[in-house]
Amino acid sequence: MQPTKSDSLFRKSMKFCAWSGYMAVIFYIIGGVILGGMTPPLLNAGESPEVFVAKITENQFQLQIASIFMMISFALFGSFGAGIAAQTRRFETNPVFSYVQLVFSAGGMVIALLVAFAWALMAFRPETYHPTVVMMFTDFAYFCALFSVPLFGGWCVMIALPILLAEEGREPFPRWVAYANLWAALLYVPGQLILFFKDGPFAWHGFVALWIPYIAYFAWIWIMSMALIKVANAKGNEPLDTRLSAAAVTA
Amino acid sequence: MTGGLISEVRRSSMRSAASPAVRPARDHIPGEIGIWLFVAGDLLVFSAFFIVIALGYKTQIELFTQARATLDMWVGVLNTLFLLTGSWFVAKGVESCRETHGVSSHRYFALGILCGVLFVANKSFEWGLKISAGITPLTNDFFMYFFVFTGIHLVHVVVGLGVLLVARGVSRRPVLRAKDIRTVESAATFWHLIDLLWIVLFSMFYLL
Repeated sequence: MQPTKSDSLFRKSMKFCAWSGYMAVIFYIIGGVILGGMTPPLLNAGESPEVFVAKITENQFQLQIASIFMMISFALFGSFGAGIAAQTRRFETNPVFSYVQLVFSAGGMVIALLVAFAWALMAFRPETYHPTVVMMFTDFAYFCALFSVPLFGGWCVMIALPILLAEEGREPFPRWVAYANLWAALLYVPGQLILFFKDGPFAWHGFVALWIPYIAYFAWIWIMSMALIKVANAKGNEPLDTRLSAAAVTA
Repeated sequence: MTGGLISEVRRSSMRSAASPAVRPARDHIPGEIGIWLFVAGDLLVFSAFFIVIALGYKTQIELFTQARATLDMWVGVLNTLFLLTGSWFVAKGVESCRETHGVSSHRYFALGILCGVLFVANKSFEWGLKISAGITPLTNDFFMYFFVFTGIHLVHVVVGLGVLLVARGVSRRPVLRAKDIRTVESAATFWHLIDLLWIVLFSMFYLL
């Protein structure tokens, strides 16, 4: 890894970004899995609007708390993505891919936040809204999360490209990380199927369109967070004073 | 295809010692470890897809049998032939890059690309016929699986064509470095994966 010269903050900053990723996954598990009913899905794309309202009313408080956790989780995508872009930037003389990554990570964070917004509105006053409006909020949440394949897939590709195109020994991350990103990008593709199906494995509650992209996405965050921690701990990236004292001991 | 993958590994281990561009025979992995992780991951996901198809078949045997009979097996056979031939050209291209690197290297890749394009054209033709006959993914569960899973495979083919274009570009360089050989081998590995996935899809949709 490239030495950071006198940047005593680098290791801590990278760890902060990596932990943003880990915490995003943990907060999603609390919000989206344990409380929120997003995965596994509490609702079913093929059900009637009245069933939606009944289920949401029954679990209203739980869903509201879940929205808060999801909001925190998705907001953390920003610092997580910035950490990846910062590491990419260190290996660029004229920054290009790092900027592109920032655009994708900002876009990804905003779209993900809309998932939490829609989820919160869905649980805000289901008894007052017309049932089809409640249903539309649910649809909107899943569409933001799953239909946005070119955004989240594109983000992964923009992380993979500077690694694969780099000269030997000048890669910002290990080369296998690039392939993990490409694999994740391909796994998001079934998310686009939700536009065509309201039932079965390709609907937004289905195995292929929901579970595969979701597992791939959060596994990808975990993998990239691990990669950032590795960068932070890499030799040459320790604060200058630590290196100086180590050199003094050796001398 | 699977043969392509195996012979790729075998060929590389036999010939790598003769080539200064690649590592010693014993520990040489065609391409790099990352592409094999990718292959393993993709196979894992497609295995899940195959289970979904098998479960669909199990629950609706009669519908699946009737719907399957409406597919033209020879279109599938032709597509298999395109991919197998394409894989052979790609394997020859890799071999050429490793040994007698010259004009033939990029020509083999160009022929591989041509086979891929023919596959896409034939698939579009097959889909077009079905859709014009009123058969869509919403017709029944068989055609839902058929269109979606062959569609996801088609996405792989299109990505694979891009990857082969990169390999062709690299193979045009006058001198190939170890890094270039690695790129070409990784591209070929991905193309053979596409081949392997198609063979299973072909068997599940057209033959069983």
